[in-house]
Amino acid sequence: MRSRFASLLIVLFFVSLWPCQQAFAREKKKSDPAITVEPKFTVLSPLGIPPTIKLLAMAPRMNTLDGKTIYIVDDGFVGGDVLLKEMAAWFTRNMPNVNAVYRRKAGGFPDEDPPLWAEIKAKGDAVIMGVGH
Amino acid sequence: MDLESNLGKPTVSIITEYFKDLVEQNAAKKGMPDLRFTFVKSPVWGKTAEQLRRDVVEGTDPITGKPVMQEVVAELTTPLKDDDQKTRTIQQSAGPDHFGPDTAENLQKLFRKKGMTDYLPIVLPTEAKVDQMLKATSHKPDEIVGKISPTPGVYEYWSYTVKQVAVNAVMAGADPQYFPVILAIAAAGKESLSSSDNSFAEAVVINGPIRDEIGLNYGIGALGPFSHANATIGRAYTLLSINAGNCGKIGETYMGVIGNPANYTNIVIAENEKESPWKPFSVRKGFKPEDSVVSIFEGWGVISAKNSVFAVWQKDMNFAQELKNIFNDQDQLFGGVAVLSPAVASYVKQEGYDTVEKLTDWLYKSPDEAKPHFWSPAQINILVTGSSNNLYWDYGGMRYVKSVSIDQWR
Repeated sequence: MRSRFASLLIVLFFVSLWPCQQAFAREKKKSDPAITVEPKFTVLSPLGIPPTIKLLAMAPRMNTLDGKTIYIVDDGFVGGDVLLKEMAAWFTRNMPNVNAVYRRKAGGFPDEDPPLWAEIKAKGDAVIMGVGH
Repeated sequence: MDLESNLGKPTVSIITEYFKDLVEQNAAKKGMPDLRFTFVKSPVWGKTAEQLRRDVVEGTDPITGKPVMQEVVAELTTPLKDDDQKTRTIQQSAGPDHFGPDTAENLQKLFRKKGMTDYLPIVLPTEAKVDQMLKATSHKPDEIVGKISPTPGVYEYWSYTVKQVAVNAVMAGADPQYFPVILAIAAAGKESLSSSDNSFAEAVVINGPIRDEIGLNYGIGALGPFSHANATIGRAYTLLSINAGNCGKIGETYMGVIGNPANYTNIVIAENEKESPWKPFSVRKGFKPEDSVVSIFEGWGVISAKNSVFAVWQKDMNFAQELKNIFNDQDQLFGGVAVLSPAVASYVKQEGYDTVEKLTDWLYKSPDEAKPHFWSPAQINILVTGSSNNLYWDYGGMRYVKSVSIDQWR
């Protein structure tokens, strides 16, 4: 009888410890970096506002370049003049029916050249634009 | 594209091979996704006519493998697709306005993957941090501050709001009290990362009371990494250009051959007004001494003058003459800028230049009525910063772009 009572006391003692053990386990989980759940963040986009795109119509192509005038326009990058004059010479050698006209555009490469554009509009059938370098 | 759409002339553009992605994407964004190109071997310059005839004109397009001139002819004669002659408007989107929720590590990786950083760790721009930044200005979050293009006239402009500038300022690690300076830089609308293959650098010159209010360094190591304000304001400028201005996308909006280390934080120059013998730069541009002002410069960057004149560095050094010698040797494109220590500036003043204007006029003029090296005295700019513990100074090819009031962005 006495021993049964002692056993009961021992069981009650451990049962009373249960909440403490649970709390201890929770604390341990919090402090253990291997178990900690990483915080998550929502962040804002740093990107700006792109403009709308207005699609532009390309010019219809020709069936043939025979008898046509092609303006070969040099926008001024170093060495572009030498290359583009060689392109004009290629037409003379290989497509003599094409009138290849070399022109140096006024100003820097992004600048407009209204007199040249007017000349091309009036006399030209197509354009080769020498842009890169 | 204007030749096609406005003049109605079939056009083919000749482009060197490395610019393929850049020109194709740029053409699409400017409204002509099927604009026709022929690509040629790079570089073109530096070659003789015979080399160009053999290697380029009678060679092949390095992208398509087709003979160059046959391709040119085909691009002028092959019929268009139906869509190529239609016009309409397309609304572009920069993507979602937020990312996450996710871990800090994953978000850092995401920002790097999307090209939204300078590849250094960023401060994550949470709503709370951005809100803190926004409290440092009286301007509304959705107000448009300005617009930037990777190269004006070549690329489209992207615009940005006060809030979008704040996001980039947070990412750079800036304190909210720096925000009016960053907004003023943003309002200048000048890209810090030009698309040019020249690898340009930008400088921001800061004058007025704001320098002391936010702790900008204009003493020892003024141009170096020795101040939180200098470092993060400069970094915010680069991040703003990358993100809000669509700059710095390799192969698309950035083609710098070598790159420029100054692009990380730009060259932030808070003038040492207290020790300078001359009026502050901003005052020379028409502002009052009590105004806080940021001025943008662009060019190649700056370097120590000792690099050029080491052989004549001596006790009776004629600083003004050495400066003139250096400038007369420089490219004219960006003119010349000198960043003098206060001690050197004081020596120059003692040499008879009691105003900067007297100095720049003399630097501009050539002896014996010869044609001046630079195009105008305005191409020469003098700034004063740093300490006086020795007689060192920097110079470079950088031109003044514009000044913006910082006070209007408080």
